Amino acid sequence: MDTNQYMGMFLEESREHLQTLNSCVLDLENDPENLSVLSEIFRSAHTIKGMSATMGFTTIAELTHEMENILDLLRKGQLKASHDIIDTIFKCVDTLEQLVESVATNSESSIDSKPLIVKLKALAKGESVLPVAAKTTTKVIATEISSIELSDTEIAVIKKARAQGMQAYEVQISLREGCLLKSARSYMVMNALDEIGEVIKSIPAVEELEKENFALTFQVIVISGSEADKIQQTVLSISEIDKAVVLPCVLPAENNGQVIPEKPIEQTPKIQDEHEKTANVAVTAQPTTEKKNRSGQSVRVDIDKLDTLLNLVGELVINKTRLEQIGLTHKLTDLVETIEQMDRVTTDLQAVVMKVRMVPVGQVFNRFPRMVRDLSRDLNKEINLIIQGEETELDRTVIDEIGDPLVHLLRNSIDHGIEHPQDREEQGKNPIGEIRLIARHEGNNVIIMVEDDGKGINADVIKRKAVEKGLISQGEADAMDANEAVRLVFLPGFSTAAVVTDVSGRGVGMDAVKNKIESLGGMVDVETKVNEGSKFKIRLPLTLAIIQALLVKVSEEIYAIPLGSIDSTINIMPSDIKTVQNKEVILLRGQIIPIVRLANVLTIPESEHQQQEEELFVVIVHIGEQRAGIIVDNLIGQQEIVIKSLGKLLAGIKIIAGATILGNGQVALILDIGSLIQ
Amino acid sequence: MSEQNYSSNEVQLVVFKLGKEEYSVSILQVQEIKRITDITRVPHTPEYIKGVINLRGSVLPVIDLKKRLNLPQQVSTEDTRIIIVKVDELSVGMIVDAVSEVMTINQENIDSPDVVAGSVAASYLSGVGKLENRLLILLNLEEIIGVGQDAKVV
Repeated sequence: MDTNQYMGMFLEESREHLQTLNSCVLDLENDPENLSVLSEIFRSAHTIKGMSATMGFTTIAELTHEMENILDLLRKGQLKASHDIIDTIFKCVDTLEQLVESVATNSESSIDSKPLIVKLKALAKGESVLPVAAKTTTKVIATEISSIELSDTEIAVIKKARAQGMQAYEVQISLREGCLLKSARSYMVMNALDEIGEVIKSIPAVEELEKENFALTFQVIVISGSEADKIQQTVLSISEIDKAVVLPCVLPAENNGQVIPEKPIEQTPKIQDEHEKTANVAVTAQPTTEKKNRSGQSVRVDIDKLDTLLNLVGELVINKTRLEQIGLTHKLTDLVETIEQMDRVTTDLQAVVMKVRMVPVGQVFNRFPRMVRDLSRDLNKEINLIIQGEETELDRTVIDEIGDPLVHLLRNSIDHGIEHPQDREEQGKNPIGEIRLIARHEGNNVIIMVEDDGKGINADVIKRKAVEKGLISQGEADAMDANEAVRLVFLPGFSTAAVVTDVSGRGVGMDAVKNKIESLGGMVDVETKVNEGSKFKIRLPLTLAIIQALLVKVSEEIYAIPLGSIDSTINIMPSDIKTVQNKEVILLRGQIIPIVRLANVLTIPESEHQQQEEELFVVIVHIGEQRAGIIVDNLIGQQEIVIKSLGKLLAGIKIIAGATILGNGQVALILDIGSLIQ
Repeated sequence: MSEQNYSSNEVQLVVFKLGKEEYSVSILQVQEIKRITDITRVPHTPEYIKGVINLRGSVLPVIDLKKRLNLPQQVSTEDTRIIIVKVDELSVGMIVDAVSEVMTINQENIDSPDVVAGSVAASYLSGVGKLENRLLILLNLEEIIGVGQDAKVV
C-alpha cells in the first residue's frame, strides 16, 4: 500500500497525540488516581500505535504497544503510578517524539527504543498481579452467564461504572473458520469496542491476541453505556466475525441477584432482525463519552493558501476601488450604491481572512509545563507554573517565532530566578516557587509576561558587572537608576558564563531574546525587585503581515511609516531648523532632535522637488531611546497596510523595510526607521 | 538555453522590439505580458531598475531593458509592454517597446552571438536567430537580470 499520501496526516496527528500525552501524563503525575486522564493517555497511545502500524513504522508501534501494556495495568489499578513509571512514560513520549521527527525528516533513525521496551516490560512484570491463567479458557464459548474470573480491581471498576449508569458486558467473539488475519480482526474488534466503551479485560490478554495465540474465539469485558445489541452489532459489522454473544457481566456477589436477564442475546449476522426484540437488557442510554473534550471542529490549511486568499481579497478591494472611481466619474448612482454594499462585504471578508490566520498562543504554551517540570526536577527545585490567557490569539507567523524567546525567559526564571526550597523557606517564602506565564490583549498588541517570585535581579551587581566588562563607564553607572541598570541585561556582551554563575545570573542570551522580539516588531522589558521576583514583559503586534502606518507624501511619491515608531507629528517653520555641528536639528520640548529630509535621503530628483518656504511637516520617530524628525511634504493619513516583501532582487536596500499595495493598486514603500535615522 | 532540449529541434520565442531592433526570449521563460502600469520608484537602486509594480497582489521589480542594454531611450507609447519573465524562481518585469509575435525557429538557424558584436554587451546575448530577411537577437536573461550579481543594490 502506498502510504505516502497519508504521511502528512500521520505526522500532524502523531504530534497532536504526543502533545496530548505530554500534558496528560503531567496531569497524571499530579493526580495518579484520575481514571479519565489515564483513559485519555491510553487512547492517544493507542491511536499512535494504530496509525504507526498502518504506516509500517514498527519501532513506534512496538514502543507504544509496550506503553499501552503499562497504561492498561495502571488503568486496572494493578499498578500504581509511581515516579519511576511516570518518568519511564515521559521517556517513552520523548523517544516517540524523536521517532516521529525522524520519520518527518526522512532520516534513518538511530534512536534505540530497546532499553525502554525492556524497562517497560520489567515494570509491567515487577508489580503486576495480572493473572496469566488466560490460555486455558481460550477454547471455551460460554453460553451461560459470565465465565470470566474477575480480579478485585476489575470488580471495583465495574461497580464504579454501574454507579455512573453504565453496564459491564462480557462479549464472546468467534471468528469465522479460515479467518486469515486473526490478530487484525481481534484488533479491529478491540478498536470498535473502545469506540463505544472501554475494554477492561480480554481473555486471552491483548498481547496474546496480537500474537494470534488463540483459536477462533476470545472474550472481552467492556464497560459501555450502549445497549447490548448495539455492542453486538458493532462487533458484527466487522467482517469475518462469525458470532458475537453479549452477556451482562455478573459480579460474583451478585450471582443470585435480580440483574440477570432472561436470556443471553446471541445471533449470527444473517438473522439479526429476528432477534432485535429480545435485546431488552436494561441499559441506560447515557452517552459514554466524556472523552471528546476537544473544542470545535477544525481544518488544517497550508499557510500559503491563506496568503493567496489574502492577496486575492486585496485584489478584490483594489478592483472595487476602481469601480467606485468609474461610478463617480460617470455619475452612475445605481453603481455607487451597489458598490457601497460590496464595500461592506469586502471589508468583512478581509477581516475574516485576517482572523483565520490567528491561532491561540496555547499552541506554544502547552509545551512549557513539561519543560518546567523537567528542569525543576533536574535542579531540585519545586516550581508551580501557572499559565493564563492561553486562548489569546496571535498571527501564525508570530506564534512560530515566539517559542524560543519564551523558552529562554522561562529557563532563566527557573535556573536563576527561583531559589532552592530551603533558601526560600529561610526567607519566609513558600518553598514552592511560582512562575506565571500570562498572555493578554492590550489594544493592537498582545502582551506576554513571564513572572517569577524568585530572588529578582540586583541592580548594583548588574551595574558593577557592566562596568567591569567595559559596557558602561563608572559615571554612567552612577547616573543610572535601578530600572535602567536592570535593562543592561539586554545588552549584547553582557551575557557571558561568568555572569551567569557568579551573580544573579540573568543574562543568558537576553540580547538574543531582545533581538528576536524586536525583529517581530515587539518590545521586551523587565521589572524586578530584589527577593520578590522579576517580571519580563513582551509586547507583540497581533500580526506581522499587517501594521498600522502613517502614509506620507514626498514630491509625488507615497511612503508608509510604521505607526509603532512614530511619536507625534508637528508643523514647524523653516526658521525653526538650527544647525549644530553641520547637522540640522530642531528643539522639541527642550530636547534636541536631529532632522532627516526624506526627499534627500530618498534621492528624489531636485527638479521634481521644490523646497517649501512655508510650514514643514515633521514626523517625530523613535527607535529605542533615539529620536529623529523626518521632514515630509504632506501627511496623507493613518492606514492599515499589508506588508509585502520586495523580493530577492531588491533585498538589501537599507532604508526600505518592504512594500505595500494601496487601495488604488499602487505600490508604496515602507520606510525602515531604524536605518533611516542612523 | 536548456529549454531547447524540450522540443526536438525547434524553439519558440517571444519576439519584441527595443527601438528598431528585434529581440527575443524563450517562451518558456515568459509568464505573461502586461500593459504598462504605475511603477513605483525604489530609491538606492541601479538606474536600470525602474521600480516595482503590483501584479495581482505581489510586488514585482521592473527592469528598463533598454537602459540595461545601454540602448537609446524613448518615451513610452501605446505599444509599450511589460514582459514578466521568470528566471531562477525570480519573477521580474521587463519594459519593452512593443511585443510583435511568437515564432518558432529551428535550432540550426541560431548562431552564436559573436557574429553581431555590436551595441549590446556580448554576455547579455545567447544567440542570433537568422530568418529570411530578419535578425532576431536572443537574450541571456540570467545575465541580464543578474541574479545575485551586479544588479544587486549598491
